[in-house]
Amino acid sequence: MAITKATNAGFASNKYNNVSADNYYMEPIAKTLVGSGGTSTITFSNIPQNYKHLQLRTLSKSDYSALAGDDTNNMYFNSDTTYTNYRTHRLNGNGSSATSNTVQSSGVQILAAGQSTRSYTGYTSMFGCGVIDILDYTNTNKYKTVRMLAGSDMNGAGDIAFHSSLWMNTAPITNIVINNSVGNFTQYSRFALYGIRG
Amino acid sequence: MAFTYSLLASTTVGSGGASSINFTNIPQNYTDLCLVISARVTRAVSASVICLTFNGSASGYSQRNINGNGASAASVSTSATVNLTYMEVPAANATASTFGNHSIYIPQYSGSSNKSISIDSVSENNGTTAYANLNAGLWANVTAINSLSLTEPNGNSNFVQYSTAYLYGIRAGEY
Repeated sequence: MAITKATNAGFASNKYNNVSADNYYMEPIAKTLVGSGGTSTITFSNIPQNYKHLQLRTLSKSDYSALAGDDTNNMYFNSDTTYTNYRTHRLNGNGSSATSNTVQSSGVQILAAGQSTRSYTGYTSMFGCGVIDILDYTNTNKYKTVRMLAGSDMNGAGDIAFHSSLWMNTAPITNIVINNSVGNFTQYSRFALYGIRG
Repeated sequence: MAFTYSLLASTTVGSGGASSINFTNIPQNYTDLCLVISARVTRAVSASVICLTFNGSASGYSQRNINGNGASAASVSTSATVNLTYMEVPAANATASTFGNHSIYIPQYSGSSNKSISIDSVSENNGTTAYANLNAGLWANVTAINSLSLTEPNGNSNFVQYSTAYLYGIRAGEY
């Protein structure tokens, strides 16, 4: 018998949540919460292949403190570190102007994976965030197109970033590695990967 | 607890291509709709727009847009038009095997107010030019949305094989 209702004793007794076990098409796959030592790299490996889409959610901060600002995290798939297999296009706003450019850099495998606030003076407890969507990640007829909406606000400075990225490989995505371009991720940074069925 | 992404319907374009992607008889017992699209078209350019309409209607659409093309950023608007546009997909001259990535969110689609729509859209291409569009749309119509249609409006251009679209219903919990 399907579960159709659930109650929570903490709510008023006449309130119910309607539940259907068949309707949860978005499911958590894995998550990482960075500990006290920080980390340079976030890895999701052995990604299940039984979903249609992936969504990555980030809340992150880097330990870079020399200059003010924030940075877009970098990401690559399936251990592919050949930079010519990647291309990113950016649309950014910083509160006073909007810009657009494209990136394909030697030695850097750039797929956009969220925004990280730096550890500059006055940026205590400020984190950047991002939602990254990858559709049809197991489809062997398609290169993988990534869509990212991310931002970072430091109470007087910040950025909003809407980026697209292309991984020119038709292989299903089985592994994701994320790093920061200027430093390590600090404690309390978190990354969560979800699968969406179709 | 909110329901997350109940799949209502999906479509994958076959070898013959498709002139449009349509969802009809949309159930009315959800709170919001979310449509995600991975598409490419046959038009002989690097990128082409696709358009969205509801309930077969060709009136009452307007939108505000911010966009980037890999070199410059701009913002545009439309009013009282026949569809929602500013969603660009890779076309025949774009990098092979490359499809766009689009999300269309419609809250309260079955309600009796005018319909607000949020569209996040990217096209991609291994070159300078690719298009990113963020749109706030309005369909000035209080009718519940029971169908939607995606088309490539430039004629003689179809969605290519392997283009996909997934329509999800999202139902808020009761508290």
